[in-house]
Amino acid sequence: MTDATSSQVPAAAPSPARSSLLTQSALMKKRNAAEARFKAYGVAAICVSLSVLAIMLWTIFSDGVSAFKQASLTFPVTLDADALDPKGNRERAEMMRVTTIGYTKLLNAQLLAHLEARGISTEGVSDKDVAAFISRDTPARLRDMVLEQPELLGQTITVEGFATGRIDGYIKGRVTRDTAALDTNISVAQLDLADRMQDEGILDTKFNWGFLTNPDASDQRPEAAGLGVALIGSAYMMALVVIMVLPLGVAASIYLEEFAPRNRWTDLIEVNISNLAAVPSIVYGILGLAIFINFAKFPQSSPLVGALVLTLMTLPTIIIATRAAIRAVPPSIRDAALGVGASKMQTVFHHVLPLAAPGILTGTILGLASALGETAPLLLIGMVAFVANYPAGPLDGGVLDPATALPVQVYSWASRSDPAFIERSAGAIIVLLAFLVTMNIIAIILRRRFERRW
Amino acid sequence: MYDAPNLETRVTQTNTKITARGVQVYYGDKQALQDVDVDILDNTVTAFIGPSGCGKSTFLRCLNRMNDTISNARVEGEILLDGENIYDKRVDPVQLRAKVGMVFQKPNPFPKSIYDNVAYGPKIHGLTRSKAELDEIVESSLRKAALWKEVKDRLGEAGTGLSGGQQQRLCIARAVATAPEVLLMDEPCSALDPIATAQVEELIDELRASFSVVIVTHSMQQAARVSQKTAFFHLGNLVEYGDTSHIFTNPSDPRTESYITGRIG
Repeated sequence: MTDATSSQVPAAAPSPARSSLLTQSALMKKRNAAEARFKAYGVAAICVSLSVLAIMLWTIFSDGVSAFKQASLTFPVTLDADALDPKGNRERAEMMRVTTIGYTKLLNAQLLAHLEARGISTEGVSDKDVAAFISRDTPARLRDMVLEQPELLGQTITVEGFATGRIDGYIKGRVTRDTAALDTNISVAQLDLADRMQDEGILDTKFNWGFLTNPDASDQRPEAAGLGVALIGSAYMMALVVIMVLPLGVAASIYLEEFAPRNRWTDLIEVNISNLAAVPSIVYGILGLAIFINFAKFPQSSPLVGALVLTLMTLPTIIIATRAAIRAVPPSIRDAALGVGASKMQTVFHHVLPLAAPGILTGTILGLASALGETAPLLLIGMVAFVANYPAGPLDGGVLDPATALPVQVYSWASRSDPAFIERSAGAIIVLLAFLVTMNIIAIILRRRFERRW
Repeated sequence: MYDAPNLETRVTQTNTKITARGVQVYYGDKQALQDVDVDILDNTVTAFIGPSGCGKSTFLRCLNRMNDTISNARVEGEILLDGENIYDKRVDPVQLRAKVGMVFQKPNPFPKSIYDNVAYGPKIHGLTRSKAELDEIVESSLRKAALWKEVKDRLGEAGTGLSGGQQQRLCIARAVATAPEVLLMDEPCSALDPIATAQVEELIDELRASFSVVIVTHSMQQAARVSQKTAFFHLGNLVEYGDTSHIFTNPSDPRTESYITGRIG
């Protein structure tokens, strides 16, 4: 280098001069702009997903909350002993001969009499259309009550029963005078009568416990349909799934992660577990149909078969989650335990599992949540059936009785024609969501508790 | 630092604890160690030094068969502990590790209480019959690890809540609690600050009275400070093994000299 060049070195880059820290360079501006854009994309994505969630929840709740309320008729009924016990001997077998039709006639007549007594005009509404206010559920319940307590015969009791779906819909705002004019099942005059009855307190809306406890009901009486059987069915299935999937999944994961040699067989198993996690759930339904129902001859529509299918379905997910949790335990802990002379099994059960427990728990509960919401495989094993009787208690073989499940009930109601089932469908979704949220909260609480212990 | 001639006389008085002959270690097809012959003495601190990847940690992990946990590791040759080949088919590595304790590079206390950390080894080996005996072992182990004074009032607290140096001493107490005959230390001070390092080094010197201590270290000063015997590993070979004073002042192999003077490694 010559003297000339060396002396020019500071002057060789005169153009950027000496950049000030107080002004941003062009490149810096570009970089900052890119960062700001990226943040904006992220915020936008979150906003979009939150608004979609909000819209979804809003539609479900606006449709479904009304399912928890139900219009009911309250009026005094004199139980005519001659009509309900023609032989007068209070024998159950004899009284059984009076079918619900007999009770329907009695209720219809008593409602008309009560309206007349209260001075409520039924002008423009035929007696038959007044009778149509009473749900077909009410006579059946009254009959059951009288058969239980024959001493009620001859007395006057206050009967509280559902109003029919259309009247219920009118009070909730689903049925309007405009739609009633087009509807052959209900007339505007009936709606006017409903208004008068509501003013007199005969027709009233109450919280509908029956929605959570009643079994399913047919299209003839949507107002009586409830989630009782579906809740029991789902509860049985979840309990069985936990009992089966947790030991299986955790044991398989521990073996694969801590004990199994790494060779072609374990590689094959690993690939297959990942693939099984991605198999569409309906395929498990077909498998369950073929194996548990056609081959093993387990009863159709039973929670046991449902739980077996859901166990198969969630097992890969839980194995993957558990293995990830086990793998996340630092190897230094294993070294430490082996170093003091713990056996492999002691290392796993004393040190690795407790540390992996929060992760295993989270994975299991998420797997259960997906099993709780699973519909497709249950359709194939017959759980979409109309089940009007409660399954027996868990110790009386209730898991073998026909039942439905919450998501299947949603599906089955959504596909029925009567509009009253639409609100029930949305209402059932609310119940399902409540269960899922509860499970997730339990998962979080348990995880916190475990983590605090260490 | 220390009185070299005095140490040498002490060394000569002790017996051989571990004898390694023709040890070869392979990771898959790759040979990590070849033909290592070493006699490790009782009541002596033996330091393994050498550049990274030279095989010193590998050899250390052979001594309590921790290499068994690495699926593709293979060990040949024989390592005798008190004359018994620890790679014999009849030897259960779990039983071996109760006799040959280990302290790791990174302090790795169990995420349990201080008490449980120390008590774990004696518990699983059934060394105690009563709670009182266990308490005694915990206390004496913590005393040996020079940690008792600091933690005696908070034995129920989490071991992971201690400082780095205390954690490492807790790990030493844990290793000591199973009453091992040999204590292996794999760079026990590399994650510690100078003050904690000094405490641990002092401790190592005290532990020498009860065990044979083998320490792997990156720091030559540390090797010089704490050990009586030093082995220098390079590229999978044991280059030189001898008295520490001899290795550091008058190495016989040119590679040892290069490493010690900072030209390789």
